[in-house]
Amino acid sequence: MAPPPNLPLFLVFLLVVATLTASSSSNTNDERVEELLSLQSRSKSGIIRLNDQSLSRFLTSVATPRPYSIVIFFDAAQLHDKTELRLRELHQEFSIVSSSFIANHNISHPSRSKLFFCDIEFKESQFSFTQFGVNALPHIRLIAPNHSFKDSQPMDQGDFSRLAESMAEFVESKTKISLGPIHRPPLLSRNQLILIVVAFLIWIPFFVKKLVSGQTLLHDPKVWLAGSVFVYFFSVSGAMHNIIRKMPMFLLDRNDPSKLVFFYQGSGMQLGAEGFAVGSLYTVVGLLLAFMSQGLVKLKNVTVQRVVMMFALLVCFLAVKQVVFLNNWKTGYGIHGFWPSSWN
Amino acid sequence: MAASDAPNGDVLIRNAFGSVLAFLILLLIGVLAFSIRLFSVIKYESVIHEFDPYFNYRVTQFLTKNGIYDFWNWFDDRTWYPLGRVIGGTVYPGLTLTAGTLYWFLHSLNIPLSVETVCVFTAPIFSAFASWATFLLTKEVKGVGAGLTAAALLAMVPSYISRSVAGSYDNEAVAIFALIFTFYLYIKTLNTGSLFYATLNSLSYFYMVCSWGGYTFIINLIPMHVLLCIVTGRYSSRLYIAYAPLVVLGTLLAALVPVVGFNAVMTSEHFASFLVFIIIHVVALVYYIKGILSPKMFKVALALVVSIGLAVCCAMVAVIIALVASSPTKGWSGRSLSLLDPTYASKYIPIIASVSEHQPPTWPSYFMDINVLAFLIPAGIIACFSPLSDASLFAVLYIVLSVYFSGVMVRLMLVLAPAACILSGIALSQAFDVFTRSIKFQLPSLSDHSHIDARDASSENIVPDDTIKTDKSEDTPKERMTKRSKKKEKEPVEKPPTKFQIKKRLSVLPFEASIIAVILLVLLVAFYVVHCVWAAAEAYSAPSIVLTSHSNDGLHVFDDFREAYAWLSHNTDVDDKVASWWDYGYQTTAMANRTVIVDNNTWNNTHIATVGTAMSSPEKAAWEIFHSLDVKYVLVVFGGLVGYPSDDINKFLWMVRIGGGVFPHIKEPDYLRDGQYRIDSMATPTMLNCLMYKLSYYRFVETDGKAFDRVRRTEIGKKYFKLTHFEEVFTTHHWMVRIYKLKPPKNRIRGKNKKSKSKTSSTTTSKRKGTRRNPF
Repeated sequence: MAPPPNLPLFLVFLLVVATLTASSSSNTNDERVEELLSLQSRSKSGIIRLNDQSLSRFLTSVATPRPYSIVIFFDAAQLHDKTELRLRELHQEFSIVSSSFIANHNISHPSRSKLFFCDIEFKESQFSFTQFGVNALPHIRLIAPNHSFKDSQPMDQGDFSRLAESMAEFVESKTKISLGPIHRPPLLSRNQLILIVVAFLIWIPFFVKKLVSGQTLLHDPKVWLAGSVFVYFFSVSGAMHNIIRKMPMFLLDRNDPSKLVFFYQGSGMQLGAEGFAVGSLYTVVGLLLAFMSQGLVKLKNVTVQRVVMMFALLVCFLAVKQVVFLNNWKTGYGIHGFWPSSWN
Repeated sequence: MAASDAPNGDVLIRNAFGSVLAFLILLLIGVLAFSIRLFSVIKYESVIHEFDPYFNYRVTQFLTKNGIYDFWNWFDDRTWYPLGRVIGGTVYPGLTLTAGTLYWFLHSLNIPLSVETVCVFTAPIFSAFASWATFLLTKEVKGVGAGLTAAALLAMVPSYISRSVAGSYDNEAVAIFALIFTFYLYIKTLNTGSLFYATLNSLSYFYMVCSWGGYTFIINLIPMHVLLCIVTGRYSSRLYIAYAPLVVLGTLLAALVPVVGFNAVMTSEHFASFLVFIIIHVVALVYYIKGILSPKMFKVALALVVSIGLAVCCAMVAVIIALVASSPTKGWSGRSLSLLDPTYASKYIPIIASVSEHQPPTWPSYFMDINVLAFLIPAGIIACFSPLSDASLFAVLYIVLSVYFSGVMVRLMLVLAPAACILSGIALSQAFDVFTRSIKFQLPSLSDHSHIDARDASSENIVPDDTIKTDKSEDTPKERMTKRSKKKEKEPVEKPPTKFQIKKRLSVLPFEASIIAVILLVLLVAFYVVHCVWAAAEAYSAPSIVLTSHSNDGLHVFDDFREAYAWLSHNTDVDDKVASWWDYGYQTTAMANRTVIVDNNTWNNTHIATVGTAMSSPEKAAWEIFHSLDVKYVLVVFGGLVGYPSDDINKFLWMVRIGGGVFPHIKEPDYLRDGQYRIDSMATPTMLNCLMYKLSYYRFVETDGKAFDRVRRTEIGKKYFKLTHFEEVFTTHHWMVRIYKLKPPKNRIRGKNKKSKSKTSSTTTSKRKGTRRNPF
């Protein structure tokens, strides 16, 4: 008795299954897009964390051409502390690109569902790393709608050299989807900014009052003295060079990784520690000289004067000698005098 | 009373003697400054150096030939073809006018020197002036002794030598003098409060504006000093007199220079001065009111004035911000921006980043360029602080700012050099003062002799000025300078001497330690002299258009550049256009007198990018670009045969970068193999097929059979190829300059007849080299 009422239901079910399979490709595609969009909305910057399973779900199991392109950032948490790879910084830039894209295209925008920014972590998805043939980081890859693993396009070194802007250019040129302007997060949030402005405004009258009465830190010459000597030390140590060129403090010896290299031979480049070492040698001589001619002179005890002075002179002499030696070693210049030829 | 008369007369004579000596020393310093810069003439010849000086030389020639009005209105059609360039309105005319005046002056005396000779020796002459100006400036800060020491140091500081050797006929040659002299007049006004000096100061500032774009340093440094003085409570009417006329007159005068014009009031570089101008007026008003009111009333008034002043300031700031925000670069030029944000240029402006003198320096640069002064400056800073005066505050501010800026751009080491000399001069002179004094007072045999001296010296301890009186036992010329100069200075500090008898014992250092210190200091200074002479002779004297190299079989001279330019001027038509990378533009127009597409005045980035693109393109595309610019000849510089490292192949990546910045189809990665720039067999096909590679290495294999590039230290990637659209017309003796001619365009009628044939050949020649005749 039971079958008759069930039969139509079963037929309906069959029908549904049949239509579903017939339209499966478009339907599953929409589903995937929906799924990706929801995943995207869950993450703050709009970057979707993928792993081996989800990757195959969104890439391999979807028939090409897929309705979307995927940009993948290959990440490895264990390498984050290697500063020369700049993984953290690049990931940060990558998320800026992603969040700018989302900010520029609201949810109903047709391009919004055409491009997704994802990252995968080496520890979770080693298989995918091998599938893409990725064996060096940093690595960013674009999988266009009709690309498989192998023919997807990696981003060149040059494309992320200028950080977010160049990444966006790369994606734009390959996908023909306009990303719009990059929105970098402001250095200070709005509330902080307001707070600072308010604090500043409150502080001004007090400051002016103090200024007029002449009692600020600014009226203390010692502060200025320390400041100027510090700026001097900072500049002659070539710290600006280190900042602009992003030089590390020291290098690992290529032949013997347990050894550290602090001094780099060749005048066009210097390491951080090296610069500070020489900078302090430059500075210490002048400071000692000033100490001798201004401070020590006023001392009454001759023995102390003698001992301190001898010590200071020795330090000065050694510092100058060391700098001359280092300079000759580093630049390879042979500085020599021009004596009369009869002297030789 | 009677006793004091005799010493007075004695002192008078000694002062006169000291003045004469100081004068003689200054004369010698001038001679030293001039002669240390003659190494380039002695070692090479009296010739204009490098790149920019050739342009200045050409402009000076034009000026002396056509007069000042034609110079002012000169439109140069020999450069930036087809755009041309208005020279009169786009150069800083100071240098040219100076040399032109010098030339006319000499000719009016019937001394027939050529324009070139005058240009070659302008820089050494002005370095002598600069050291005298340094003397004056340092004298205002810390007295004659420090002044003479500083002048002697500046006469031979390597950083300045590098820009002012004979033949280095560039703006900096006169600008450094103008810079120091302007600072001197400012300090002089500040010390005297005289309007006469304030006016002179504005005129000197005007001369500086005429001479160099670096004048913005002055117009920012002086306001900062004024602001600092105000903030630290050092406002005085002298400060007002020193500053206000400078801003008003100086800005008006600066606007007279065509290249500056309204920039003097429109760009952010100048805004600091206006802001401080407002502030100083507010402060002046406050002080004035304070003077006429009772303290109680003043407090009431203060609140009023401060609020009004603040309101005015805020309004001005708002206006300025609005003005600035409306201009695209926020009113700052790229070079200035890269000073504030050091990473700016390397990110956004390849044409600024590509210039080697805009790189940040490393510590050896400081040792090379200011040498032992780097050790002495901290002592100088401390000496300036004890005690602090308006003038010494200025010296400190100057060193701090210039040392920071020099850390950003190696080129600004030049601005640092005078400051370094002033501070080191102060430090050295003070150290010598203390040490020699200690020796002298404790010298047993001379103790009764130097009784009067001792009293003088002890009195001077109280006075900030440094003075040394010593016997003549040490003999380095430098030291003698400082020592003798000290004598001159005695008069102003000559006060009733007996009071300070007790102090004498306290303010000396142990005898033998002082002797050692003096010896070490003398050694240090001697090392400086040796270094400077070496730097002047070996490092900074090369004119770079004539190269020499020493090898086992003696001296080799490479005079290829002039050979090539001479060839161009003798063998090409006057109106032919020559394309080369911009570095050689000035030289080509000056020496070969041919029209160039781009030159070292990099005012039009697109034009430079066009040439860069042509050099990075394959032959045919390059030919089309050059043909569209009417170019007849292409000049490339190639160092692979003799090992000349700054050739076009080494600059090539910049051509790609600058070209790619405007024409996106040129992409830097196409020229790099795995991020590495190489020209051997591993090079990318784009690299091996680009015009620069082909023009540089065409027939190179014929020289040694292996085509080994001595600069890149490798065998080149593609050795045998033919040129389809260019033909080699001249290669210099050492292959350093190679000149190619564009083949004339294909004869179209003949091409039509042989349509089928030429079609196949034109498509295949680029691939199958040497198998067919080229289509032209």
